[in-house]
Amino acid sequence: MNMSGTLRTSLIIGSILFFVFIINMIRTKKLELKYALIWILTSLSFIIMSVFPETVFMVARILEVEVAANALFLCIIFLLLLMVFALTVAVSRQAIRTKRLVQELALLKAEFEEKNKTSKQ
Amino acid sequence: MKDNNNNTESIKTLIIIPAYNESENLPKLFSALIEAEGDFDIIVINDCSRDNTEAICINHNIKVVSLPVNLGIGGAVQTGYRYALYNNYDIAIQIDGDGQHDPKFIPYLIKRIKEGNHLCIGSRFIENEGFQSSKIRRVGIKYFSWLIKLLTGTLITDPTSGYRACSREVIKLFANDYPKDYPEPETVVTVLKNKLRVSEMPVIMNAREGGKSSITSLKGIYYMIKVTIAILIASISRKTVAEED
Repeated sequence: MNMSGTLRTSLIIGSILFFVFIINMIRTKKLELKYALIWILTSLSFIIMSVFPETVFMVARILEVEVAANALFLCIIFLLLLMVFALTVAVSRQAIRTKRLVQELALLKAEFEEKNKTSKQ
Repeated sequence: MKDNNNNTESIKTLIIIPAYNESENLPKLFSALIEAEGDFDIIVINDCSRDNTEAICINHNIKVVSLPVNLGIGGAVQTGYRYALYNNYDIAIQIDGDGQHDPKFIPYLIKRIKEGNHLCIGSRFIENEGFQSSKIRRVGIKYFSWLIKLLTGTLITDPTSGYRACSREVIKLFANDYPKDYPEPETVVTVLKNKLRVSEMPVIMNAREGGKSSITSLKGIYYMIKVTIAILIASISRKTVAEED
């Protein structure tokens, strides 16, 4: 494998920066650890792949994919699909909860105003 | 909770009016409701209207529940059913805020529920009188009618009608679970699948006077696909009768 020195160095630097960025987001409470775990793992695997590019070729061999880049794309697309689907599930759950909250809030507010009105009379 | 509604005289009826920017149509509807026979309470669910829908209800001395964010027709109607559930109503009647539904049919809908039906739908297509909707929409309604007949064996001539009366059982069902948008055909299937009795009653509907329908031609295709899938899912769903009570 002949990866150019500059490409490799920039990949290593980029993936480390990505990892630091995510850790910082969690530290400043901008990301919930529960949802950030998958991103920590992703950024760690980027670091591993850029420091030891052999791992990508190894994975390609295991998957019996001829071109290593294709094995990499396959893995990443699969991971992305999983993550997007998980997000759709999360959004649906949030929508159901928000709807229920809005309804209960509106009913409570109407009842409260009704009580206020009658007590003033 | 205490339940002392065993004698027929103390049956409590609620009229649910979902309203989104309906200030033009509501005053007429309110006066028609006051003229209509029968003993019932009225609640308007104001789905975060941008016009003065809320003020008009207050001026007419009609109870209004205002949603802090827009939930769409399904979420608004469900709020009405939750109100009916919490306040122990025996019958809930849903009527559109846009003036399409004539309140004079309310006593007949109430009668149908008292006769033992769980859901009674006001249908335009039994006597084919009054506003019959456009040709293309009638084709769509026929198709849903056919699909529901195929899946449940029951003929519902006007499954898209939003003019309907519900018994306590159906109020509970809808308070727990009601679709977000285009809910009417889907909920008919849900009620039928729960082995509850659905009947239809001929009504005369008016063409819309102000405002515009929630279904525009652009959304037509999305509507057909979404409702078809919703009906299919509802027909394979398990019984969902409320666990509470």
